[in-house]
Amino acid sequence: MNKIFNGDNNFQIITLFSGLLILTIVIGIFITLFVNSYEVLHTFGLDFIIGTDWNPVTQEFNAFPFLLGTLLTSFIALFIAFPISLSIAIFLGELSKDGMLNTLINGAVELLAGIPSIIYGFWGLFVLTPLVRELQLLIDIPPYGVGIFTASIVLSIMIIPYAASLSREVISMSPNEIKEAGYALGATRFEVIKSIILPFSGSGIIAGVLLALGRALGETMAVTMVIGNSHIIPDNIFSPGNTMASLIANEFTEATEEIYLSSLIAIGLVLLIVTAIVNVTGKYIIKKFIPNMN
Amino acid sequence: MENKILKIKNFNAYYGDNHVLSNINLNFSKNTVTAIMGPSGCGKTTLIRAINRMHEFENGARIEGKIELFGDNILKLDPIEVRKKIGMVFQRPNPFPTMSIYDNVIAGYKLNGIKLSKNEKDYLVEESLTKAALWDEVNNDLHKKGAFLSGGQQQRLCIARALAMKPEILLLDEPTSALDPKATDRIEHLIEELKKEITMVMVTHNIAQAGRISDYTAFLYLGNLIEHEKTKKMFTTPKDKRTEEYLSGKFG
Amino acid sequence: MDKKLKHRKIKDNIFTAVIVIITMLSTVPLVLILYYLAKMGISSISWEFFVNLPSPPGEIGGGISNAIVGTIILIGLAMIISIPPGILLGIYLAEAKYSKFIGLVRFSVEILQATPSIVIGIIAYLWIVTTLGGFSAISGSIALGLMMFPLVAKSTEETLKMVPNSIKEASFALGVPYYKTILKVVLPTGLSGIINGILLAVARVTGETAPLLFTAFGNPFMSTDITKPINSLPLLIFNYAGSPYKEWHELAWGASFVLVIMVLLFNISAKTIAKKWKIKY
Repeated sequence: MNKIFNGDNNFQIITLFSGLLILTIVIGIFITLFVNSYEVLHTFGLDFIIGTDWNPVTQEFNAFPFLLGTLLTSFIALFIAFPISLSIAIFLGELSKDGMLNTLINGAVELLAGIPSIIYGFWGLFVLTPLVRELQLLIDIPPYGVGIFTASIVLSIMIIPYAASLSREVISMSPNEIKEAGYALGATRFEVIKSIILPFSGSGIIAGVLLALGRALGETMAVTMVIGNSHIIPDNIFSPGNTMASLIANEFTEATEEIYLSSLIAIGLVLLIVTAIVNVTGKYIIKKFIPNMN
Repeated sequence: MENKILKIKNFNAYYGDNHVLSNINLNFSKNTVTAIMGPSGCGKTTLIRAINRMHEFENGARIEGKIELFGDNILKLDPIEVRKKIGMVFQRPNPFPTMSIYDNVIAGYKLNGIKLSKNEKDYLVEESLTKAALWDEVNNDLHKKGAFLSGGQQQRLCIARALAMKPEILLLDEPTSALDPKATDRIEHLIEELKKEITMVMVTHNIAQAGRISDYTAFLYLGNLIEHEKTKKMFTTPKDKRTEEYLSGKFG
Repeated sequence: MDKKLKHRKIKDNIFTAVIVIITMLSTVPLVLILYYLAKMGISSISWEFFVNLPSPPGEIGGGISNAIVGTIILIGLAMIISIPPGILLGIYLAEAKYSKFIGLVRFSVEILQATPSIVIGIIAYLWIVTTLGGFSAISGSIALGLMMFPLVAKSTEETLKMVPNSIKEASFALGVPYYKTILKVVLPTGLSGIINGILLAVARVTGETAPLLFTAFGNPFMSTDITKPINSLPLLIFNYAGSPYKEWHELAWGASFVLVIMVLLFNISAKTIAKKWKIKY
């Protein structure tokens, strides 16, 4: 009796249970989303994802405008943020590895990461939107202020720290031996960075980009407040639109019919799958290609 | 005829398919220091860790044979009970960083939930630290954490902690290899003093150290016990050629 | 100096300049945001601001008291829900030997961590709100707790992995069983790291809005009933910023300022504790 119920075994069982708990939660999440969106997916089929009309009034529910909105805002944000993040990473990881400046910039980047997304949204709505409106008046297009463009800019600021911090770590971990080999051959610093350090850190940089992308895809509040909440496929970068996340945020509490709610949940499922794939791929790259990384 | 309190009989150890120790038969007499020596990979660490059942933490460890303490086969007992009777000091001093010096000494009791009165605790702490030749240096700082102690002092604290459990046998796994010569010297003297009260088994790769403080030496090579003899005798007239070569530094 | 070399040197200088300039410029958005926050938010701060309930549009003198109380209640409950399982899971991941099951568990941790906060909100809605028949603080706390769970587990795991093996061995050699070694020796040694992880997780969820949109839902009145809807700082900001009333905008700025200070304080305490309480070994 003593052998089975001793303290060690009980402890192992309890900790094992916590593992079981999270496994159950995650499986439960997928099952719940799937069960609640089955009707919709079954009725509309593939059309749900590629159809272009979202009209609660006529009960047409298709996700494509929002898939597009998510992809557009995320990739534009990534496009803007990447060069900035890479510059920061090179600066902190190679050009200025220690010292006051490093601490300050590092602190600033961490601070950026810590600001809640609702604040970004709020700031974006009250400060950025009027500016974009001015720009739109200047180039003679409808001055919505809000829209895909504004949302992408806010999003890009938000993801800079995510892409920067991982890249910075791998860049700073590049071994001195290979750098010195380059310098000893007469290369300039630019050439060492371009041809030696960056290729060496390549997988880390890609992983950082994927993680930033994962963040951007799921981002809700900042985007919700500045994207304009439209159901129509945006025809240019300045149009209002919606992402999958912002659509859910805007309409979930107003979805009175089963099928309306189901559709929103189905969109949540799509969002989860896309985000999960991107994030897990990023983490996988870190594990496989970057030894000694936490 | 000295009292042989620890007997290792027909002992074999395996890690997976690796036959790490073959047919070891070794006896230890009361109040002696036995040095276990040999080149890297000879199995000496495996052997000493088997005595207090610490080898069980390695994956795929398998043993055959008996290890008898006062006639009881400790391989069949609850390992936790075994470890209360057989203490161990490790290569790198490892005092518990969250506990004060005082609490470190009696940690074996505290962690096992064995209640002692304040008087018993005070007495035990002073007695153990005195035996470990550390009392004079720390008696005013008993409630401070041990991080400020030097390496040698930390090791003596670990010895005090082991002694507080009043073990029959003290195992020492290269106890001075992480310490400077001065600290090593102090601990060697300590071991010679402790011999009067306790039986010790010490793994060391320092041949001169074994010569200095051990009564008996066991020489292991590639998992086999090559020679086991009174130290003075083995060092002057080794029976086996391999022992002779090891002692003269031909291989290590 | 030959022409090619001159060329390369110029390239090098331009490159360095570009990197430095872009890096410096990247701090501009941060400065802008903090500046605006301070400028618009500080003017709203007053004693009434902290003590009063939000007032109807048109009236001055509103405050954010219910949002502050709500935030504290939500975070407190989320901590109670997520910390014990989080630490246990962290211990499990740090200590258990590899097996297919553990591989699956790790994968689950990654997935839960990557789940967008709005989806967490949907799940909490489907699991709790529909079951209880209405919005409530408890559903909001569970949503926040779900977000904190993997964060606490991962940081606990990392902290425990860094505790040297020699300390565990010292405990085993004294005849201390495994579970006592973990609870009485390893955990206390890693305590500063664990608390650091908890505070960072708290900082993260303090600012979360999406998971609360259809769980805690918000409440214009003061409420400490966890079975009823409850307000919180991020919810208040979201609702009031999007409203057409100027007084409410001012409340939202003030609330934003307070929220950022809170999050900052959690982050700074995390760092300080990690440094100051760190046990040397």
